Amino acid sequence: MAVDSRAADTKGAAPADPALLEKIAKSNAECYACHTEAGLKTPPRADMDVARLKPFIHDPKQFEASNHAGMECVVCHGQSAKTFPHVATLREQISQCGECHAQKAMRIESQFDLSVHAVNLKEKFTCQTCHDPHVYRVAQKLGEPKKIVAQDNAMCIDCHNSDLRFASFAESLTPRKTRPDLDALHAWLPNTRLHWQSVRCIECHTPVSPVKSLGMSHEIQSKDKAEKNCVTCHSQDSALRLRLYRSAQETQLAQYGFVNSAILDNAYVIGATRNPTLDRIVLSLFALTILGLLGHAAVRVVAALIRRRKSP
Amino acid sequence: MSHRVYLLPVWLRLWHWTNAALMIVLAVTGASLHFADPALMLVPFSAAARLHNIAGLALVAAYAFFVVANIVSGNWWQYVPKQPGVLRRCWTQAVYYGWGIFRGAPHPYPPTVETNFNALQAVIYWLVMYAVMPVVVLSGLVFLFPDFAPQRVLGMDGLLPVAVVHYLAGAGIILFMLAHIYLGTTGVRVTSLFKMMVTGWHED
Repeated sequence: MAVDSRAADTKGAAPADPALLEKIAKSNAECYACHTEAGLKTPPRADMDVARLKPFIHDPKQFEASNHAGMECVVCHGQSAKTFPHVATLREQISQCGECHAQKAMRIESQFDLSVHAVNLKEKFTCQTCHDPHVYRVAQKLGEPKKIVAQDNAMCIDCHNSDLRFASFAESLTPRKTRPDLDALHAWLPNTRLHWQSVRCIECHTPVSPVKSLGMSHEIQSKDKAEKNCVTCHSQDSALRLRLYRSAQETQLAQYGFVNSAILDNAYVIGATRNPTLDRIVLSLFALTILGLLGHAAVRVVAALIRRRKSP
Repeated sequence: MSHRVYLLPVWLRLWHWTNAALMIVLAVTGASLHFADPALMLVPFSAAARLHNIAGLALVAAYAFFVVANIVSGNWWQYVPKQPGVLRRCWTQAVYYGWGIFRGAPHPYPPTVETNFNALQAVIYWLVMYAVMPVVVLSGLVFLFPDFAPQRVLGMDGLLPVAVVHYLAGAGIILFMLAHIYLGTTGVRVTSLFKMMVTGWHED
């Protein structure tokens, strides 16, 4: 029976028991002896095929910051990964994400099945195509929206900005699809680059998740279905509150009387980050000015009529 | 027979109407962006953003032309309220708008070739063109090139003060524009001053 080295009290938290931590660190160190940059440079064994090792190296620091921090490599890769040379079927033995994340995977699957990726490339897509389990961090863990944006957009850009990687997926399609130019596709979007730095591709390319426990829907939509209505985000009822700023929105109070002030911490979003008091003052000034001018005009007209009647 | 005097050179009139057209576009698109809401009848957001950016850049050019042309022609002197008695003359002008105009009294300070503006006009035009306009133009440029905005202010995005200043200064200019258009009807006839802004000839 596989040992759940992640036996912690809190769901998703790394184990706290020092003895267990040491055991995990020791076990992972055996893997890192080869599967890191350092291992690649100075392989611990002379008979190793360094060229075959190269695609399988990891950054321990990055892993320890990821969602799976504190886990033992063999939990997913199997106990046989401890033997070297590894068995030829080692890659096939890797646990499926659903083995641990059963409920989540089930909910995601039904959304993913509707996505443009599943419709076109279901057999080629796994969770890991987008989410590298050695690196990926959930939005809540990343905290800062800019970090969330950078991580999540990198997942899309890795393929959609690389002819080579895009082709490796698209080659099976008939007719064969070539990678469209992202800038040309988004030419309609003002300040395109600024948008890409400030919000995620999925803000527009997914519908709002009907499952509350899932921050985002996994139904990635093509350009035909994607959001193109700017005011979905650029308005007081900004969709960003349910998306990128979902967790920030829940924890933050209004600052300086602005609506959507959780967004304001990171970006001034025209139409969304507004101060209703300031708006009321400005609109009142306009109303008073227009009324004042109309009133003045009315008195002028009446006074002129009276003068005309009085004059011989 | 009415008395006519040529007051406004071609460059000034061309600038005035260019500025007026740009201001209307900027006001409508600016309001559409700021008050963006699917329930309101506004210019579509994407179109409003593009139009506002283009008209904004055109306004920068028009304003630069205005400043330079005023210096070169010496017309800048018209905007300087002349002492002594600026406050007194402003008050007299305000009393005219608040009372005398209803009684059909003559304009207290009709324009001349030497002095185009009454004191109240000079003070307000000077404030709008040389104090508020630079604020709108500069804050608008930072808005257009947000990399120049401070990164953070008061723990929030540095674009916030730029946006608030741009919004308030823009609103101030549009409020001025409303009053300015209305006061345009206070010539010898309702249309006289508009006609002057086209032909350059003032009639009284």
